[in-house]
Amino acid sequence: MKRKVGALEKVDADLPNLQHKIKSDPTSYKDDFVSQYSLYSSVHELFLTSPTTTDDTGLVRLRDLVDFISHVADCYPQITAKFPQDLISLLQQHHASLDSELRDKIVGSLVLLRKKDIIDSNTLLNTLWPLLVSTPSKSLRALLYQKVVSEMRNSNSKTTNHKLNRSMQATCYNLIASDPASPKGLWAVKLTRELWKRQVWADSKAVSIMEAAALSQDAKVVTGGVRFFLGGDQEREDAADDESDQEEKNISMGKLRHQAGINKKTAKRDRDLKAAAANVKRKERKKSTPHALNFGALHLLNDPQGFAEKLFQQHLQPSQPKVKLNLEQKLFVLQLVSRLVGLHKLTLIPLYSYFIKFLTPRQPSVTGFLASLAQATHNLVPPDVLDPLVQKIANEFVSEAAASEVASAGLNGIREICARQPLAMNDTLLQDLVQYRKSKDKGVQMAARGMLSLYREVGAEMLRKRDRGKDTTLKMRAGEMAGARRFGHVEGGGIEGLELLEKWKEEQGMEGSEDEEAGWNNWDAQSDDSESDGGWVNVESEGEEIDISDSEDEREKAAAKKGKIEARKAKQADKENTDTADATNDAPKDNADAPKATPEAAAPTERTTASLEPAAALKREEAHISTLATTRILTPADLLKLQELRANATLTAALPSAKRRKLAAQAQAAASSRHADDAVTAIDIEGLALLSHKATREDKILLAKGQRPEGRDGGGDGNDHRSTTARRKERKEAEGKSTTNREKARKKNFLMTLGKAKKKGKRKLSVQRGILKAHNERSKRGGKRGNKGQ
Amino acid sequence: MGSSTKKKKEKAKDFQKTKLKVGKARPKNTNATDTSFAAKSIVFKQQSVSETRDATALFNHNLSLLSSKTEPQRRDALQYLTTACQVAGEELPQPASAVISKAQPLILDGSNGVRQQLLKLFKALQGDIGPLEQLLLYTRAGMTHLSTEIRLSALAVLDWLLRTQTDAVLTCPGGWIKTTKTFQNLLSWQGGLSSTGATMNGKWSATKAATSLGNNKLLVQQLNSLATFLTAGLTPEPVDPDAAGRRAADLFPLWHTDAHVLPKGSNPFGYLNLFGAPRDAESEVYDDAESRYEIFGELGLLADFQAGVKEAKKEGGEVGRAAALVDKALRLADDR
Repeated sequence: MKRKVGALEKVDADLPNLQHKIKSDPTSYKDDFVSQYSLYSSVHELFLTSPTTTDDTGLVRLRDLVDFISHVADCYPQITAKFPQDLISLLQQHHASLDSELRDKIVGSLVLLRKKDIIDSNTLLNTLWPLLVSTPSKSLRALLYQKVVSEMRNSNSKTTNHKLNRSMQATCYNLIASDPASPKGLWAVKLTRELWKRQVWADSKAVSIMEAAALSQDAKVVTGGVRFFLGGDQEREDAADDESDQEEKNISMGKLRHQAGINKKTAKRDRDLKAAAANVKRKERKKSTPHALNFGALHLLNDPQGFAEKLFQQHLQPSQPKVKLNLEQKLFVLQLVSRLVGLHKLTLIPLYSYFIKFLTPRQPSVTGFLASLAQATHNLVPPDVLDPLVQKIANEFVSEAAASEVASAGLNGIREICARQPLAMNDTLLQDLVQYRKSKDKGVQMAARGMLSLYREVGAEMLRKRDRGKDTTLKMRAGEMAGARRFGHVEGGGIEGLELLEKWKEEQGMEGSEDEEAGWNNWDAQSDDSESDGGWVNVESEGEEIDISDSEDEREKAAAKKGKIEARKAKQADKENTDTADATNDAPKDNADAPKATPEAAAPTERTTASLEPAAALKREEAHISTLATTRILTPADLLKLQELRANATLTAALPSAKRRKLAAQAQAAASSRHADDAVTAIDIEGLALLSHKATREDKILLAKGQRPEGRDGGGDGNDHRSTTARRKERKEAEGKSTTNREKARKKNFLMTLGKAKKKGKRKLSVQRGILKAHNERSKRGGKRGNKGQ
Repeated sequence: MGSSTKKKKEKAKDFQKTKLKVGKARPKNTNATDTSFAAKSIVFKQQSVSETRDATALFNHNLSLLSSKTEPQRRDALQYLTTACQVAGEELPQPASAVISKAQPLILDGSNGVRQQLLKLFKALQGDIGPLEQLLLYTRAGMTHLSTEIRLSALAVLDWLLRTQTDAVLTCPGGWIKTTKTFQNLLSWQGGLSSTGATMNGKWSATKAATSLGNNKLLVQQLNSLATFLTAGLTPEPVDPDAAGRRAADLFPLWHTDAHVLPKGSNPFGYLNLFGAPRDAESEVYDDAESRYEIFGELGLLADFQAGVKEAKKEGGEVGRAAALVDKALRLADDR
């Protein structure tokens, strides 16, 4: 309770006023400050004797004094030397019993003192962090957490404060590592996750904190750590996207300029416009700066194999684990383990037998287990480990007796497993499963079709002949399909554009070792590429000379060079043709282009005509690659040339026909590589089970209203079965925009239209003409005011 | 007919199997019991409904009313306690120290009447009033308070303390230096720094009058109290050379008698500060006039006070006379 204050006292107790005066002239108000400070110290001393009492008893309150002094503390550093320490000890010793308002004020004052640089951030964090961990008050914890995060962000805003980060990370790590069974580690997890999201911490130390958390012995801490690995990076990306979205939305310069042209010009508006322009420029500059390269948390792990093993042994395998996790939490851990196994291709054999007992349709959230199993599969998992699992899924889930939902989930699960390890399937089972594409149920049907199309690609010989399809059969006949795969078989990689380099070398006649030596001499070719002494640079400098000198023989040389390039293009096109099945049809057409090239290019074209037979050409190409990459070491000059050639090749590839071919190849590659790095979710497994249900009346109504029926969440395809107009209208309304002119005309008040309708028929022709003219002009201009500057 | 189909349907409903979806949690059972609850509190309007009380209970009740929120209630309680003390003398239901510890926060009370009544209560109290540390803290807080009236009444409390418990005030931890420093702050006698009002860090700033006109009365009161305080603190105890010998002769066969008898005051070893926070020079205990004088000079207080008194004496009138008293007290220190 604050008592009534007399008029004279009010003047003295008017701390904000005094604060203002002190800030403008500290020396003359020193006496006033000293008297306030002595009042503070006596009240503080009184308070220390009985900290539980509220400080509301008298005319002055301790929290007002604390606030006042911390605001002007920078003006009197000598007098207030002990003040920060006072506050810190008050908070540390009595935080549990302090009045909440006073407590919050002290925390705020400490942060203020930090802003004024009276105390350093280490002191502040060392005060706040232990309190955050130990205090029983929820509101204080929220406040402290917010202050700690903002302090960390502020001190990392200009440059990364490595020292502070390191000490804070060590604190967090120790909090978890010193007592793995306590729930206090949650704060370390929370802080790390937040700072990870804000990209303040993006190094392996933060990841190792989370690693410790995931291996701790408290259920909440474990879940926090595990969820970080599963979703932390996504969260970080989303946060970054949000930020850039907000920035983009803000200002449209054209609109502002347009407004400035219309509105009255005042100094303030001028200033605003300038500020906006500066803002836009700053943002553009920010946009053009290179994006910080951040690795995902899963890639920053020190020892993924050890981590996965420990996670599995600690939380999943034992029948009496140290931490009792419920099913949901266990699923999270399982997801992480399987993610690690799939991503890093780890070997964790006991994991697969662990799955067996969960693979029944009655198991709650079995789709999650199926997804985890699929995720844990990769091409280095022995097929005989996976075989019983696939068998069990097939037996339990996929049968005529099982519900359609169950069957489709099982089929989808098997497909996801087999997409990663095709050898886990045997042909009898496969042929059996493929039969389900004749099922009446849509979901099952589509799942079985997915299965079929997968095996057409990866193991067509396991399918029955009539199931293989035309394309696959053709390919098989041409011998393009990879034959029966064997376990552990790895595709060899290559260097992109290497064959181009080799061809170029052949053309230049540079095969000898003396050339190689020259390449090594030009070791730092990359660092000073304007200098010309390497073999490859000579070509370019020649070209330049031609342009300048214009002499006859040099022009010939230029023509020769041109011819070479064209020939190379033709060859490039040829080679791509060989990849496709219908290469034989295209090749002559392409070759017809080749004679257009200059006679000097005849030799290379001859070589290309030899490559008419596709299979042979492919073989030769492969042979070339292997010889070049394995017989000699590429010099820096070589690498630079390689880069140049690659750029040229992309230019040729930009032609429309090549583009189309490339797109198709890309789509195929994306479809096959989807499995490598993404997580498989339960939703993937549930898949099209939705199609098996007939929508109820209520669901239909909800859909028509644009709401999602319960039970169906997270599909996220955005199809809510409403008309496009309705959706567009809603979107426009949400943006605060109006709809079309036609819409407005339709909505117009009837009475307002009456007058015009009455007169319209009786208008004179000249008037009518004027109106039409004006309308025409307006529409050309783009509306009443035109859209200048927009 | 209609009712029978309805009944049939209802019956059929009981045996309908709930449809479980694959991969989803089980729906809740229809016969599940909701175990969530909300707590409720009961509020009484009166604190006590009993009517008749004996004197002790009434005394205790009034003692508890000292921390009441309403001003008249506090004043009335003080009044009751004062009369009770006057009547009962030393036979109070509670010891005087308990009354003091309950009443001392009222030194900082906003209401004038309460503070005056409080002083009356203090004066009416008899017997040992216990350790003075807390009481002095409140007094000093009152002396530095923003409100002039509170300062005045705090000074009155200090005067009362000096009259009745001189030694206890001076030997209590922080009693000497902290109090003198408080006076120094109050009078702004900070070694001439404030009185010059000069240019600091390149900025010129005007001198502010140390005291305003309205506070003259306060200044006089402060100077008077300071004079009493300094006189008490700096006067050496009259030394009787024979006293110790006579006492030893009285108790002849016994040696160090004082060490063996039971202590009379409460917390007799408090000066050792066994359980409190470590003290600095300011809150140390200064037992005799000699040590008090030494620390007074060491901290440079003596010089500051002399300079300040010199200034104050020049004002003449009531202030001058009070300053002369302080000067006289300071001479005690000078004489050594």
